[in-house]
Amino acid sequence: MSARWKEVLAGLQAQGGRRFWRGLDELAGSPEFREAIASEFPALQSADWNRRGLLRAFGASLALAGLTGCEARPDGRAMPYVEDPEHLVPGRPRLYATMTSFAGIAQPVLGVTYVGRPTKLEGNPDHPASRGATDAFTQAALLDLYDPERSRIPRNASGPISWDALDTALAGRAAMLDASKGEGFRLLTGATTSPTLLRQIDALLARWPAARWHVFEPVNDDALHAATTQAFGRALDSIPLLDRAEATVAFDADPLGPGPYQVRDSLAWSARRRAFQQGDGRADLMVAEPSPTLTGARSLDRLVAEPSRIPVLVAALARVFGIVPDAPALDPAETRWIERAAKTLAAAKGRGLVLVGTEQPAATQALGWAIDARLGNLGATRRFIDPLRPTPPPDRTLDALLADMEGGRVNTLAILDSNPVYASPDGPAFAAALRKVAFSVHAGLWHDETGQACGWHAPLAHILESWSDGRAADGTPVIAQPLVRPFFDVRPLHAMLAAIGGDFTASDHALVQQTWAEKWGALQPHWNEALLKGTATQSSSPSGESPNLSPSPSGESPNLSPSPSGEGLGVGERNDHAAGFLERRPHPNPSPEGEGLALRPHPNPASGRPVPRTGLGLPGAAQPDAPEGEGLALLLRPDPTIWDGRLANNPWAQEQPKPVTTLTWDNAVLIAPALATAHDLSDGDMVRLTSGPASISGPVWIMPGQAPRTVLIHQGYGRRFGEVARDAGFDATPLIGHATVTLERVDGRRALAAAQEAHAIDGKDLVRIVDFIDTAPKPPQQPKPSFWAEKPLTRPNWAMTIDLDLCTGCGACVTACNAENNIPMVGREEVRNGRRMHWLRVDRYYEGDPADPLLHTQPVPCMHCEDAPCEMGCPVNAAVHSPEGLNLQVYNRCVGTRTCSSFCPYKVRRFNWDDYSGDAPESIKAQRNPNVTVRARGVMEKCTYCIQRISAARIDAKIAGHPIADGAVRTACQQVCPTGAISFGDIADPAAAVQKRKASPRDYALLEEANTRPRTSYLARIGGRRDRG
Amino acid sequence: MAQIFTPAFDTYTRLFLAAIVLFFVLLLLLGPVAALSGYQSRVGWTVEQPVPFSHEHHVGGLGIDCRFCHATVERSAHAGFPSTHVCMTCHSQIWTGAPMLAPIRRSLAEGTPLTWNRVSKLPDYVYFNHAIHIDRGVACVRCHGRVDRMPLLARAHPFEMRFCLECHRDPAPKLGPVDQVTRMPPLGWDEGTHRRFALAAARRYHLDPTRLDKCDICHR
Repeated sequence: MSARWKEVLAGLQAQGGRRFWRGLDELAGSPEFREAIASEFPALQSADWNRRGLLRAFGASLALAGLTGCEARPDGRAMPYVEDPEHLVPGRPRLYATMTSFAGIAQPVLGVTYVGRPTKLEGNPDHPASRGATDAFTQAALLDLYDPERSRIPRNASGPISWDALDTALAGRAAMLDASKGEGFRLLTGATTSPTLLRQIDALLARWPAARWHVFEPVNDDALHAATTQAFGRALDSIPLLDRAEATVAFDADPLGPGPYQVRDSLAWSARRRAFQQGDGRADLMVAEPSPTLTGARSLDRLVAEPSRIPVLVAALARVFGIVPDAPALDPAETRWIERAAKTLAAAKGRGLVLVGTEQPAATQALGWAIDARLGNLGATRRFIDPLRPTPPPDRTLDALLADMEGGRVNTLAILDSNPVYASPDGPAFAAALRKVAFSVHAGLWHDETGQACGWHAPLAHILESWSDGRAADGTPVIAQPLVRPFFDVRPLHAMLAAIGGDFTASDHALVQQTWAEKWGALQPHWNEALLKGTATQSSSPSGESPNLSPSPSGESPNLSPSPSGEGLGVGERNDHAAGFLERRPHPNPSPEGEGLALRPHPNPASGRPVPRTGLGLPGAAQPDAPEGEGLALLLRPDPTIWDGRLANNPWAQEQPKPVTTLTWDNAVLIAPALATAHDLSDGDMVRLTSGPASISGPVWIMPGQAPRTVLIHQGYGRRFGEVARDAGFDATPLIGHATVTLERVDGRRALAAAQEAHAIDGKDLVRIVDFIDTAPKPPQQPKPSFWAEKPLTRPNWAMTIDLDLCTGCGACVTACNAENNIPMVGREEVRNGRRMHWLRVDRYYEGDPADPLLHTQPVPCMHCEDAPCEMGCPVNAAVHSPEGLNLQVYNRCVGTRTCSSFCPYKVRRFNWDDYSGDAPESIKAQRNPNVTVRARGVMEKCTYCIQRISAARIDAKIAGHPIADGAVRTACQQVCPTGAISFGDIADPAAAVQKRKASPRDYALLEEANTRPRTSYLARIGGRRDRG
Repeated sequence: MAQIFTPAFDTYTRLFLAAIVLFFVLLLLLGPVAALSGYQSRVGWTVEQPVPFSHEHHVGGLGIDCRFCHATVERSAHAGFPSTHVCMTCHSQIWTGAPMLAPIRRSLAEGTPLTWNRVSKLPDYVYFNHAIHIDRGVACVRCHGRVDRMPLLARAHPFEMRFCLECHRDPAPKLGPVDQVTRMPPLGWDEGTHRRFALAAARRYHLDPTRLDKCDICHR
C-alpha cells in the first residue's frame, strides 16, 4: 500500500481538534486496514487460509475434542522432602535479594521462589537503584535460566566431554602459563562491575604478568569516556539527576529509553514529574533527535533533526549563552526551537540540564557540559562518578586481541560470557583467527556462535544460580546470591575463572565472601545484612539514599573533579583496577564556567565498537549535510527488547512489542515517511543498504517522526544460534562503524508483526491531554443513569489508575505480567494474526503530522467494568463479577464462543486459539507461577488484577485479623513500573493511595460514553498545545 | 431370486432396536448412579501406598496430633506431607528393622523422597487454602473424616464442588473452636449450640456466606 501522504496531510491540516492515529495504515485509511480493524479477529478474515492449514486446524480440533476428559486421573502423587529445609513452607514464597547483570551493570532484584523454584523477579525496594522497580530486560532475564537450549555439558572439538577432561586440559594450560609467566594468555570478557571478578583478574594478571585482559562490550560508554577525557582529562560516567532538573534539553539523548540505566533515570524523572503534578516546580523536557525515542515521546516540544544537525544545534545553543563565538546557520524551525530551549534553560538556572547523547562527538558533548557549567547546573543536576564500566585502553580492546591472534601471539584464549563472533563486526575474522590459537576455551550459558568457534566450551551457571556481585546504575554495590541450585552440571563464573587459573576447588561463595571480607575488614555482620537487603555498603545508609558523591558545596562554581577517594562507590574504594588495565594519570581540574574547556578535536579511541563519525571538527565549522539523493545517515542502536542479541533466544523478550514501533520477533530498517514515499516503499518491503563493501538487506518499517535522511536499525538480530532466535530478523553487524549508507529497493517482502495493528479500540478521546495539573479543581462528576442495580461498595473493592503523564511506554509492565501470569508466547505468525496473548498491552497513538508527530503510550489492562458487557454476553456465565469489583473469568465454564470478546469495547480479552501452553518444554513449565492457572486451548483469558495476589493478601489479612492494608496488594504491573505510573488499591478505603489519584481532576475512563463504568481509569497527560512559535 | 434377508433377520432387527432403546434407558437410570458413586468420587476407596501407613494406629492409637506431620497446615495453603526425617523421628528408634518400613529407611539412606499416592487431591484449578480454614475453626475431621479409624486412608466425602458449597453456604454445622480443630471424636453439640457458636464466629470473623460462594474465593 502506497501512502497518499499529501492528501493525508492536507486532510489533517484541515481538521481542527486533536486527532490521534494508531498507525500509518489508519491514517491512510486503506480499505485493508478498515477491514482488519472492523474484524475483531483478523486471522479469520484473512484470505491466506490454504487447504492444508485448514485441515490441520480441523485435525487438531478433532484430536483434542473431548478426549482429554477421558484420561485417567492426573498425577496424584506427593513427594515430600527427605529432610525439610529450614524455614521453607510449601505454598509460601521465599524472596531472596540478588541481582541480574545487564551489560555489566547490576540490576538489583528480589527473586521470588516457590519450594526452591524461582518464578519471578521483582525489584528490590531496599536498593536505591531499584526502589522496587525493574525494566523489561530484567523481567525477561528469568526465562534465560530455564532456556532449554542452555549449555549443559562441556565440549571440545570432538563433542561432549566430562568436566574432568576439561579440567585436565585447563590444568595443563595453567601449568604451562605459570612457567612462562602468562606469555600468550589472553582473557576476554564483557564489561563487568563485579568487584570479585575484578579482584580475581587482578590476581591472575599479577601471577601472569605477560597476560592481558581484553574487554568487549558491544554497547558501552566508551564514547562518553572519550568525551570526558577530552573535556576534563579523565574518563567519567555522567549520572543525570533528572529529579532535580526542572528544564531538560536533550540532544539525541534517551535516558528514559532501554538500557542498563533506564530504571535509575526513570525513577528520577518520574520523581520530578510527580512533584510538578502537585505544583512543585516544572518538569520541562525538550528533545532534538533523529529518530523517535521514549524520551522524545515524553517531550511535547520535539525537534526532528538529522544526526549531522545535532552538533550544529548544540553549538547554536552554546552560542546563545556566549560559550562559542559563532555557530553554523540554522533553518527557521531549528532557530525557533533553539530560542525556546535557551529561554527554558535561562529560566531554570541551577535547575536545568543539557543532555547530549553519548554517541555524539566529544566536542559536542563538551559543549553540553559547558552550557550547563555556564548556567550553574553542572554540580546540581548532574553527578560525575568514576566509570562503572571503564573503557579498555587501546591495547585491551577486541581489535587489539584480534590483531594479536592473527599475529600468532596468542596461545591460550579464555572467553568468559562474551559473544564476539556474533556481536562484533569483525566476528568472521575472529572466528578465523581462533584457529590460530592453540587453546581457546569459551565459557557461557549457551554453546553459541563463539562457543562453536572455540576449541573448548564450558557451560556457565546463570547468575541467578550463582554467587557474584556487581555495581548498580548508581554505583552502589550489590551482591548476587543464588536463588536455586544449578539445574545442570555447570560452573559459576568465578569458579570458572579460578579453574582457568588452575584452581579447581574454589567455590564462588568463598570467592565473593573473600572480596567483601577484604573490603570490610571482617565479613560479619555486614555480610548477613547485605544478603538480607541486597546492598553491600558498609555504612548503614538509610534506604533510598544512594551512598554516592555528595553534591558540590556551592552551586555556582561547580567542582568538576570527581569525588575524592573515600567517598563514592562503597567506602574507601575506587572502581579501578590494578596495573595491567587502567593506568592512573594525573589530571588538571577543568576550569569552571566552561571557559577554556579544551575543545580540541580528538580522535575517538579504538574500542570494540567504533563510534560513527559525523565529521565534526571545531565548533563553528560548517557541517556538510549528506548529499542529496545519496548517503543516508545510518544509526545502529541496540534493540529495545533483546539488546545486543543476548536475549534473542528469549521468547518473552522477542514477543515484547518494541517501544515506539511495537514490532515483535523482527528488526527492520526504520525510515521516515518522506523517505518511504521517495522510494515508494511500504512496511515490509525489502531494501538493501550498502556502505562501501558492506551490505545488508532487510524489511522496511516506516517510522513517523524520524528524520528524512536517516535510517535506523536495531542490532541483535540475525543470530545463528538458538531455536527461538534463528528465524528472527536480519544481522546488522556488517554495518557497524559505517555512518552513511545508500538505500535501494529489492524484491521481496517480509511480513512484519507489529503488535499495534490488532486490538483496536473503536472510539475517541482514548488518550487525553490536559493543560492543568492536579491542583486544579475537579468538576463534580455526574454518574450516567443505568438500568443495573447499584452494587454496595464494601471493603475491599479494587480499582486501578494509570497515569499517562508518568508512563514512558517502556513495557516493563507487560513482561512482568507475562512472567506472573503464565502467559504463553505465540510467535510471529500468531502476533500478525492478532493473537498475541499479552493480558496487558501498551497502545501507541500518534498525534499530528506523520513527519513529526507526538507519541502517546497507554497501557491497557482489563477495565474490570462494573457494568461489564462481557458478563452480559457470555452464554455460559463464565464471565462473572465478584463482590470485590473484579471481573472474573471462570476458565472451566468457558466453551470458547468468544462472545465476551466481541462485546468488550476495549478488546482486552485474549482467546487461546491453540494449545499455546501445552507443549512448552519442561524447563519452561518449571518457571510457571503455581498460583495461576495454566489455561488450555479454547478458553478465554484476561487480566485478573492479579487475583492470586489479592487472594493471598486477603487470607493473610483475615488470619492476622485486620483489613487488607493499602499497598499490601500490588499487581505485577504496578510493582515493576519504574515511574510508578500504575496505582492499584481499595477504593472503598478512603485513605488508599488510589483514591487520591482518582480524585485528581485529570482522571478519566476510556469510552465513558459506553457507560461500562470501568474500574481502571487513567490520568490524562499534562501538556498544552504544541508550541510551534 | 434368493432373499437377502431371512425371516430370522426380523427378530434380530427388533432385538437390536430394543437393545438401543434399553441402552439409553439404562444410561439415563444408571448414569447418575455411577456419577454419584464411589467410582467417581472415590469415597471409601482406599489407596495403595508405598508404605501402608496407618492413621488408625498413629492418630487413633498413639494420639499423635495431625500437625506433627502435616506441619504447615496453619501457615500455608498446603497442609504438607511429612518428610522422611519426620517418620524417622520415631522410627530411627522403634521398629527399626521392620520390613514394612524398609522404603522409609531406603529413602533416608539414598536421599530420594518417598512417593505417596494422593487421597485428598483437588484439581489444579481449585486453590484450596488450609490455613484460613484452620484459623476459622473448621476441624480436620469435617473434610477428611475419621482418619483415626482408617488403617489405610480413603476419602470420607466426595470432593465435588457441591461438598464445598454446602459448607460455604451454611458453615454453622461445621464450625468449632480453633483449639479443637484436630479433634477426631465429635464435639457432641446439639444443633442449637452449633448455631450459637456459628453466630459468634460469624460476628468475630465477619463471615458472610453470601460472599463465600462466589467464584473468586476458590478459583482464579
